[in-house]
Amino acid sequence: MQETTPVGDSVPKVNHELAVGDDLEFQRRWWRFERGIWILFLLIVLADLLGCFGRGYFADAEMQTADGRTTIHYQRVERFSTPSILSIRFGPGDVHDGKIKLWMSNTLLKQLGNQRVIPQPSASVLDQDGVVYSFDSSPGSGSIQFALEPASFGVFNLTFRVNNANTTALTIYVMP
Amino acid sequence: MYTVIHAILGYLFLLLTVRVLSRRPGGQLTRSEFVIVFLIGGVIILSTTGNDRSLTNTVCAVLTIGLMHRLISWLKQRHRIQGAWIDGTPLVLIKDGQWQQEVMNRMRLQDTDVMASGRLKGVKTLNSIKYAILERNGSISIIKATE
Repeated sequence: MQETTPVGDSVPKVNHELAVGDDLEFQRRWWRFERGIWILFLLIVLADLLGCFGRGYFADAEMQTADGRTTIHYQRVERFSTPSILSIRFGPGDVHDGKIKLWMSNTLLKQLGNQRVIPQPSASVLDQDGVVYSFDSSPGSGSIQFALEPASFGVFNLTFRVNNANTTALTIYVMP
Repeated sequence: MYTVIHAILGYLFLLLTVRVLSRRPGGQLTRSEFVIVFLIGGVIILSTTGNDRSLTNTVCAVLTIGLMHRLISWLKQRHRIQGAWIDGTPLVLIKDGQWQQEVMNRMRLQDTDVMASGRLKGVKTLNSIKYAILERNGSISIIKATE
């Protein structure tokens, strides 16, 4: 049989005459809780303004490869299913025989949801851990962009390599 | 799966936000509160349904919110303290003709708010009010001194 709360004259009275059911002690606890919640809301908004949750000052990041020739500009904090741009700027030393070869780990395609590469590579070859993109390039510097739209959230390591240089790794946080 | 999780989190977050917004004297929405209700509702909908506009997604979201409402109602009915956390408790603003200053200040109420409710009950002056109660829905109940 279902247990039910008995209905009756159980409402606490004020001055033994007016059934109100107030509880000032509870209300004082609630006011303290409420103040804490508003402070939390304020901190969340401030953190968001600063870009702690993506798309702001602290989310913007730039990194150079060990040889200092290549610079990657990316969002340290991404947001799930939200478009963003990751760009890589190549230095003059990155061009060999009119080509730049860029290897990107699988994280770019799977977790970070790469939608397109700008400009389009002249070739792209899949290997076990990632993709090798080839770009035709004149001597000098140039840059490419990846349009991302993360397909899952969490902490991901993205690694890349230009030609046969050392691998560079970066960590990207994707907010739900 | 994401829709159900988003709907549950959205419902709980919205419940908390609305709960910590002060009760409106008179229990009626002002224009600015209309803005809050529609804007927050719209934002939560966007997050809940995302890019999936299928009927399946919509039905799952609506059913989840319906079930959440049923669960919250059940919790409120089961224990008074849970009802107090969700809906609050009535608050005495005037007791035996005496203003309860702490409650008035904390709820950011003015004597004019109480008098507005008093006039609806035919009260001519604040002195003729014995009890004023701020109800859980934000309305103010008046008990006249002569009653």
